[in-house]
Amino acid sequence: MSFAERMLKIDRRIIFLVIGLCTLLPLLYPVGLPIKISSEVRGVYDHIESLPERSVFLLSIDFDPASKPELYPQAIALLRHAFRKNLRVIAMTLWVSGTGMADQLVTQVAKEMGKEYGKDYAFLGWSPGGQAVIINMGQNLYSAFPSDYSGKPTKDLPILDGVRNLKDVTYMVSLGAGRPGVEEWYVFGKDKYKFEMGGGCTGVMAPGLYPLLRSGQINGLIGGLRGAAEYESLIGQKGKAVAGMDAQSATHVAIIVLVIMCNVFYFSLRRTSQAQGQVG
Amino acid sequence: MDATVLGAWVATGLTLLIFSFLYKDNPLFKLAEHLYVGVSVGYIIVKTYDTVIVHLVVKPIMDNGEIALLIPVAIGMLMLTRYVPKAAWMSRYAFAFIVGMGAGLAIPRTISSFILKQIEDTVRPLLSIAGPDGLTFSMNLLNPASNLNALIILFGVSSVLFYFFFSIEHSGTGRAVARTGIIFLMISFGAGFGYTVMARMSLLIGRLTDLIEFSDASYGRPTIWLTLLTIGALIVISRRARPEPPQEG
Repeated sequence: MSFAERMLKIDRRIIFLVIGLCTLLPLLYPVGLPIKISSEVRGVYDHIESLPERSVFLLSIDFDPASKPELYPQAIALLRHAFRKNLRVIAMTLWVSGTGMADQLVTQVAKEMGKEYGKDYAFLGWSPGGQAVIINMGQNLYSAFPSDYSGKPTKDLPILDGVRNLKDVTYMVSLGAGRPGVEEWYVFGKDKYKFEMGGGCTGVMAPGLYPLLRSGQINGLIGGLRGAAEYESLIGQKGKAVAGMDAQSATHVAIIVLVIMCNVFYFSLRRTSQAQGQVG
Repeated sequence: MDATVLGAWVATGLTLLIFSFLYKDNPLFKLAEHLYVGVSVGYIIVKTYDTVIVHLVVKPIMDNGEIALLIPVAIGMLMLTRYVPKAAWMSRYAFAFIVGMGAGLAIPRTISSFILKQIEDTVRPLLSIAGPDGLTFSMNLLNPASNLNALIILFGVSSVLFYFFFSIEHSGTGRAVARTGIIFLMISFGAGFGYTVMARMSLLIGRLTDLIEFSDASYGRPTIWLTLLTIGALIVISRRARPEPPQEG
């Protein structure tokens, strides 16, 4: 068996080990590679930055713990930015499996920023129906969420003073890991009720949302852990996403090297077998 | 034991059990997999019951007398007639309501958002070539709004659409356009794969970050102890699974 053949039939556990080490070592010994801010992430940041104090900011946390590593840092960075700008933060989720996590997330960041529940922020929880909830909120927010996550009537929350439906929302960001998520918020929310909107999503979903970004249907997009790291850099509070960027770069290099090596071995093997065929 | 510390031990243990699949399929992985499915479904059932049945149906009817809510409840209950063969036909009314409402809501909005708006955006940038100062053409590849990029996108959209147009034979010029469409599709798949790799690595980074955090003494070093325990269990399992050598004679 030639070297190329042996390499192409290598035990896949060796590749797992290489990828594992490429991820683990930079996490233990960070290098601090520079992070370049992309225009799509800056779009969300600049818009929040331009909002006047006490503007209504709606954050829909449309993911569950399965997507936590990518979207949780995005949510933390967005909430920190919104609280720092003294916006009225209304959080909610369209994913029933993410309700507890979303509550923990909002409560944790609000506590860290010294914000008061009901006055500075509220968590509405989950309501069934997916896209129907968005349409319902567009008509009457109190009908979609008669009570918040803790069971208090939403009409009694001071943060919602003057907010009747989605038309009263100044800016909205959906952090989506699938459906319902960013697309549903655009189709049944922004396109119908005309409010400004940005998006955040997992890396897998990002290429599918770029057409919405380019056409101006959403004004910014935070894609995956990389997007979260850019946002953390923009607000100047580096967290888990920035810490993971060295590992991300190292694994990408490892995968590129593996892809190149596989192709080299494959073509060399094909060339050898073709030469043998001609001789035979 | 503090809830955070207990949570750290459970999270670490389940992460390591799932990771044990990288070595090979084994009962530890199966245990963690079944726990994940069971806990997820249990959580969803409890949350749905509490939010929908208790807070959105029972409380408004009992406390505020919102009797009109009985109409959607009745339509929803029709779904359950699927379990009674003689009354199963009644569930069709509920399905008809859902399909009709879903289609009515989705079709116009989807056409508006994903077809009309995207067509408009594909063609509109070309109009900027003929501006108030006469004809201009920007060549900057890095600017998404440049005329060159607008042309590339228009050509890409047209060639990919042509590739999926099977009513005429792809030969001569048509073949060249269809081939170009394939190239655009390949670039799109490549971008998608790249982002997928990034996403999967992010998940790995997330778990490893937690494992590093939980190796701290304040949690009782669950990462170290449970890694040793998992490795030990895997050794025992693989020894037990080893087939007996055939007896001679």
